[in-house]
Amino acid sequence: MIPLSYFLILSAVLFVLGAVAFFVKRDLITMFMAVEVMLNAANLAFITFAKSASSIDGQIIVFFIVTVAAAEAAVGLAIILLIFRQKKTIKSEDINLMKG
Amino acid sequence: MNSFSALIPLLIIVFASLCIMILEAFLKKENKDYLAYISIIFLVVCGFFLVRAWNKDFSYFNGNLFLDNLSLFFSFIFLITTFLVILISMKYISLQGVNCGEYYSLLLLALSGMLIMVSSGDLLVIFLGLEVLSISSYSLAGLRRKDEKSSEAAIKYFLLGCFASAFLVYGIALLYGATYSTDIASIINHFQSGESLGLMALIGLGMFVIGFGFKIAVVPFHMWTPDVYEGAPTPITAFFSVGPKAVGFAVLLRVLYPYLKNVQDSSKAIFLLLCIISVLTMVVGNLIALRQTNLKRILAYSSIAHAGYLLIAILAQDNASLVFYLTVYIFMNIGAFAAVIALGKKDKEYLELEDYAGIGFKYPWIGATFSVFLLSLAGFPPTGGFLAKFYVFSAAVRQDLVPLVIIGVLASLISVFYYLRIIVYMYMKEPSYEVDINIDNPGLFLVLFLCLYGVLQLGIFPGNVLILIKQAVTALL
Repeated sequence: MIPLSYFLILSAVLFVLGAVAFFVKRDLITMFMAVEVMLNAANLAFITFAKSASSIDGQIIVFFIVTVAAAEAAVGLAIILLIFRQKKTIKSEDINLMKG
Repeated sequence: MNSFSALIPLLIIVFASLCIMILEAFLKKENKDYLAYISIIFLVVCGFFLVRAWNKDFSYFNGNLFLDNLSLFFSFIFLITTFLVILISMKYISLQGVNCGEYYSLLLLALSGMLIMVSSGDLLVIFLGLEVLSISSYSLAGLRRKDEKSSEAAIKYFLLGCFASAFLVYGIALLYGATYSTDIASIINHFQSGESLGLMALIGLGMFVIGFGFKIAVVPFHMWTPDVYEGAPTPITAFFSVGPKAVGFAVLLRVLYPYLKNVQDSSKAIFLLLCIISVLTMVVGNLIALRQTNLKRILAYSSIAHAGYLLIAILAQDNASLVFYLTVYIFMNIGAFAAVIALGKKDKEYLELEDYAGIGFKYPWIGATFSVFLLSLAGFPPTGGFLAKFYVFSAAVRQDLVPLVIIGVLASLISVFYYLRIIVYMYMKEPSYEVDINIDNPGLFLVLFLCLYGVLQLGIFPGNVLILIKQAVTALL
């Protein structure tokens, strides 16, 4: 059997990768995907902890988080579409009307 | 006591929100104002049920949703917030061409999210409430669909909000891993009993605080605040500056107060983290506000700075002063934004400092009330802002947090400069061009009056409210 700690390490690595990609990438969709990776890293952690405690709670929490992520995606993609209609671009450096 | 009554206020608000969404389709364009009246009626009904539940300690869903006095008090001030925001929105919506139906229904959904957050002791439920609040807020920020600034505000709020929730969820995951529970009370118990909880739980709690740091807009997690506040429709900005902030502090109070009080040894790191954040927030917020010229941005940085003072109250573990500060803050900040909204006409808002030259004499009511709100934000007696700061700082002195208090007082001295600058513009500058506004706006003037009353009442005769707050915070002991 694969030791549980491996899953936790994977989850931590995924979370950090997501956070780094959020700041490095310059494309709204990719930034949003980076956040999704971070959320799923948390899901993986929840499942691992649920397994190690042999409790069902953590697995149920994952369902809630997936639902929330879906709702976020619906609103987020709509906003990105709105931006694209107005500016014909979704590069984050072009969204710079307000500064200071 | 396990009772369905704990669920009723929440059900009323969600039902109101859905009702308005459906009704909107059947109303003629000139009758859309009815939607505002309907939502106000629902708010009043909900308020009635909240008042009736005082001191009853109702709970439901195995205690995952409860109405103790603290959550009742917070729920009630959120109802007042939403009520005031609806009143200032009514004219604004028709003047600035925002769609009505989804506006009120999203506002009520956001309110329901806040009600969920303050009436639960389970981190998962709090997270779900937060997401109900946040997802409605993202759409509210972008409701002026033809305005590019509004969409920009929406996308910035959305991306950073999601980023913050990811931190929050990972923090909850780590806390769950360390304690195998998402219930605040049992997490605190684990912290108290087991010294071997170690790094993972501490990192989890830290990430939880950081996630909420984004929501309450503290430095260094404040980057989104000024842009979102500037781009969003102004009544929504007023809502953002008080609603999510107050609810964030309510949750932090529930989590951090028992933690800082009961866990002595391992809480040093979190305490230090909060101290650093608080100092940075007060200093940076006030300094950047000095060189802003857009009213909405000035108020944005001022609301960042106020988060710093509020953090001192959490560090001093004085719950009553924190709740009192939040109550005053709601009245003075919504009042200030109402005055900003008052200066507008069809498809035009006056938001630059220059526009305010001579307003004090041309529109004496707006000028006078706005000045009172600004003085209250700066902390002058006899307004509520003074008492609120006084309570917070004296509580901090009692807890030997003197360096924090000194920095806080100095920071609020800096803040006096930019608040007074607006008043100087209103009364001592000659206007170089004509500013004409639509003054046929009864809802907005009612809000100005109510907020003025609130600020002065809390500043001069705070007794009754303080008694209620004392009863409310006993829920935490």
